[in-house]
Amino acid sequence: MTTILKAVNLTKRFPGVIANEDVNFELKAGEVHCLFGENGAGKSTLSSCLFGFYQPEGGHIEIEGEIANFKSPRDAIKMGVGMVHQHFVLVSEFTVLENIVVGTHDAGWQLNLPKARARVVNICQEYGIDLDLDAHIRDLAVGQQQWVEILKALYLDAKVLILDEPSAVLTPEEAERLFRIMDHMRELGLSILLISHKMVEVMKSDRVTVLRKGKVVGTVTPADVTPQELTRMMVGRDVELRMVRDQASNLSETPQQVLHVENVSYRDDRGKLALDDVNLHIGKGEILGLAGVSGSGQKELFEILAGVLVSDSGKVSLDGEQIQGLPSRQYMDRGVGMVPDDRFREGLIPEFTIRENMILGWQRHNDYTNGMFLDHKQIGTIADGLIDEFQIVAPSGATPVNHLSGGNAQKVILAREFVHSSKLLLANQPTRGLDLGVIEYVYKQIIAKREEGYAVLLASEELEDLLNLSDRIAVMSGGRITGIVDPQTTTIEEIGLLMAGSEREMTA
Amino acid sequence: MTQVSPSVGLNPASRGRLKIERRVNPKASWTFSMYILATVVGLGLTALLLLTSGADVIKAFSALFNGAFGSQKAILATLAKSTPLILTGLATVVAFRAQVWSIGQEGQVYSGAMGAYFGCLIFAGLPAWLYISLVVLSGMIGGALLGGLAAYLKDRFDVNEIISTVMMNYLIVFLLSYLLGGGPWTEVSTTVVYQQTGPVPSASELPHILGSSKLHLGFILALVSAVICYILLEKTPLGYEIRAMGFNPIALAYRGTNIGRTVILVMAISGAIAGLAGVSEIFGTSHRLRADTLYGLGYTGIIIGMIGGLRPLGTVVAGIVFGGLASGALYMKLLAQVPAALVPAMQGILLLTFLCAGVAARYKLVRVNTDG
Repeated sequence: MTTILKAVNLTKRFPGVIANEDVNFELKAGEVHCLFGENGAGKSTLSSCLFGFYQPEGGHIEIEGEIANFKSPRDAIKMGVGMVHQHFVLVSEFTVLENIVVGTHDAGWQLNLPKARARVVNICQEYGIDLDLDAHIRDLAVGQQQWVEILKALYLDAKVLILDEPSAVLTPEEAERLFRIMDHMRELGLSILLISHKMVEVMKSDRVTVLRKGKVVGTVTPADVTPQELTRMMVGRDVELRMVRDQASNLSETPQQVLHVENVSYRDDRGKLALDDVNLHIGKGEILGLAGVSGSGQKELFEILAGVLVSDSGKVSLDGEQIQGLPSRQYMDRGVGMVPDDRFREGLIPEFTIRENMILGWQRHNDYTNGMFLDHKQIGTIADGLIDEFQIVAPSGATPVNHLSGGNAQKVILAREFVHSSKLLLANQPTRGLDLGVIEYVYKQIIAKREEGYAVLLASEELEDLLNLSDRIAVMSGGRITGIVDPQTTTIEEIGLLMAGSEREMTA
Repeated sequence: MTQVSPSVGLNPASRGRLKIERRVNPKASWTFSMYILATVVGLGLTALLLLTSGADVIKAFSALFNGAFGSQKAILATLAKSTPLILTGLATVVAFRAQVWSIGQEGQVYSGAMGAYFGCLIFAGLPAWLYISLVVLSGMIGGALLGGLAAYLKDRFDVNEIISTVMMNYLIVFLLSYLLGGGPWTEVSTTVVYQQTGPVPSASELPHILGSSKLHLGFILALVSAVICYILLEKTPLGYEIRAMGFNPIALAYRGTNIGRTVILVMAISGAIAGLAGVSEIFGTSHRLRADTLYGLGYTGIIIGMIGGLRPLGTVVAGIVFGGLASGALYMKLLAQVPAALVPAMQGILLLTFLCAGVAARYKLVRVNTDG
C-alpha cells in the first residue's frame, strides 16, 4: 500500500506546552487509521496540523511523497484532505444540499444547484449514504448532521478523511452504520484518519497510532495487541474500568426515598412534549442509571430536578418535601448537586480561575465571604485543598479553567458539586469526552458518594457503564420512561428496545 | 468538547517567518507599550487630518496640550471637564462587564440631573451638608430608576436593552424639553423661554475644591465612584456575579443565581453612576438645569469605558485624557484656527487605535523556524 499522508518530525508548541513533539506518522491509501490517546495527548493538535489549521513549528507534512506546506485548511482541502470536526459548521436555516455546496471553491457567483445535486446524489449512492438533500439542517438529528459534514468533505474530492471523535454524538446504531460505511469507503480507496478513545472503534481500525503527552508511543495493528495492552500504551499504566459493585448494597433494606418524581410533564419552547408523565424515585445510597438516545428528554429531566426548569405539571419532592417550582437556589441549599452534560457552557465560567469556579453558585455563602466582601484568602485555601484532593492538574488555582483539559475541567465541577451537596447528585453524561483514566476516577467518586448515602441519578451513553454502576436503570424514549430494569437481569438488547420506544410494564 | 487552544482563529493570516500568537498572561509592560503606540499612531493620524484642513500641526498640538495640561489652571479645568466623563465611563464599565449592552447612559445623565433638580426644590431649607447629600442622592435615584426600568423590561418582557435604552434616551430629552420649554420648570423671570431653569439654590451647588473656579466636589465623587466600582467588581459577591454573567450567564443561572435580578441591579447601579454625572454637571458647573450642557456625555462615556478597558482605573485615566482633549480643543481652535469639529474626529481616531491596542496587547509576534 502506498503512503498518502505522512507527518515527519512534526512539532507544535502552544505557550507553555508542547502539544506535539517529533510526531512521525503515516496514513496509507485505503486504510482506517486510528489516532488513540487521552485528552490532551495531542490528537486534536496533530489532526489540526494535518488539516492546515495549525502550522507546525518543526517537521513537515507530505502528501503522496511531496512536501505540503499548508497555510490554511483551504490548502489542505485542495490537496484532498477533508476533516469533520466535533463541532459542526452548518447553517441551520439552509438545506442539506445548500450546506454542501455553499462555500466550496467552485461555487463562484452563481450556484448551479441542479448540477451539484446530481454530484451529491452520485456520492450518496456510491458510498451508500441515505440523506434527504432538501431537509433543513435544523430538522436533522445530530447523527444526520454529521453525514452532511462528511458529504461536504467528499464533495470537495477528499482522498483523506479526518474524523474527530465521530461517534461521540451518535447512538449505538448510528455508530454502527457509520463504521459500516467507513468500511465501504476504505474499499473504494478512501483513507480515513479516525480520532477516538473508544476501545471498540480502535479495535475495528486497520492500524492504531497511540499518542501520549504529545509524542507517538507506537503504531500497532489491533489484531496483534489486546485492549489492555493498548490502554497501557495510552495511559502508561493499568486501568481498572470495571467497578466492583457492592453486592450487599442496602437496596434490599427498602431504602429511604430521597427523590420522588410524580407525573412530571414539560413542553419545550417549540411546543414539543419533552417530558411526558415521568415517574421515578431514587433511594438513599442508590444509583439510578438513565439510558436513552440523546434528546429523549434527559436534559429537561435533569434541569427540572435541579430547579433550572419548572415543569408544567407534576410533583418533585426531596426527602418528602415538595420542592417543585422553587428556584434552583433552594434546590442547592437543600443538598442537590448537579454535573451538567455541557460542562463549559453550563457548569463553568471558562474565563474564571479554578478558585473562582470552585465557588460558583456559593459566592454568597458564609464560608466564602467576610461581611460584604468575598474572602479571597479563604476561597483560595479551600479551592487549593480541593485541587489537591481531586488531583486536578493545573499550574495553580489561579489558572483559568479554559486552559484546562476536559478531564481536569470536569474534576473542578465534581469537586464543587460534591462538597456543596449532601443528598442528591445529578450527573448527566459526567464522562462524555473524557479519557479512560479520568472516567475511572469519576466513577469511583460517584460510587463513593453512593456509599455515603447519596441518591444518584446518572445518565450515560455508555450502556456498559450503566450496567456496571447502577442499582436500577430507567430507560427514556420520546420524553417517557419506557421501562425501569434491573441491571443484574436485563440485557443490552432489552434496553435497546426500550430506548427505541417499546414500553414495558413498570417493575420497580 | 474540543480542546480550547489559545491560538485559534489567527492562523490562516500568518505568513513567512513571523507569526502571531496569543499570550496566555499579557505582560503589563507590553500592554502599556501597546497603548503608547496607539497614542502615537492616533496623534499621527490626527496630524494628517489637521494637515488636510490646512492648519499648522505643531502649533495646533502645542495649543491643544497647553490648553489641556499646560498650567495648573488648565489641569484643574481639564479635571472639571473629565468629571462627568469618568462617571459615564464607569456607568459603562459596570453594565458592559456584565455584558448588558446599555446605551442608556445618555438618558440616565438627564434623568439624574432631573432627579437632583427635583430634589433641590423639595429639600430646600435643610442644613447645608444634608441638603447637598439629598440632592446628590436624588440624582442617583433618578438615574437608577431609568436604568432599572430598561432592565425590568428586559427581565419581564425580554425587551432588548440596546433598543430600550436608546429609545429612552430620546424620551427623556423630550420630557426635559417639555419641563423646560413651557412646563413647570421653565425659568419664570424672563419673557423669553431659554429652555432652562432658573439658577439652582446656591446652597445646593457642589462646592469648588483646590481653590479652582471650575473644579468642584463632583471630581472627588467621581474618584470615589471609581474606587467603589473597583471594590464592587473585584471584591464582592455581586461583582463576582456581574463578571460571571459577562462571561457565561448560562452557567451562572444553572448554579442558582437569579439572572433577571442581577441585570436589574447592574442597570440600577450603572444608572445611578450616570445620574451622578448629570448632578455633577448641573450642580457643579452650569448651576442651572439645561439640556445642552448634558448633551453627549453619556455617549462619550461609552467610548471612555471601552478605552479604559472596562476597568475602573483605566476609565479614570481615559476620562482625564478626554477631558483634556475637550478642554484643550478651545485653545486649539483659538490659537491655531482649527475647526472645533476636529476634536470629536480625534476622539474617534483615538478610540479606534486604543481598541486595536487592547486587542494587540493580548497577542505577541513570535519567530517561527519553518524548514518547509
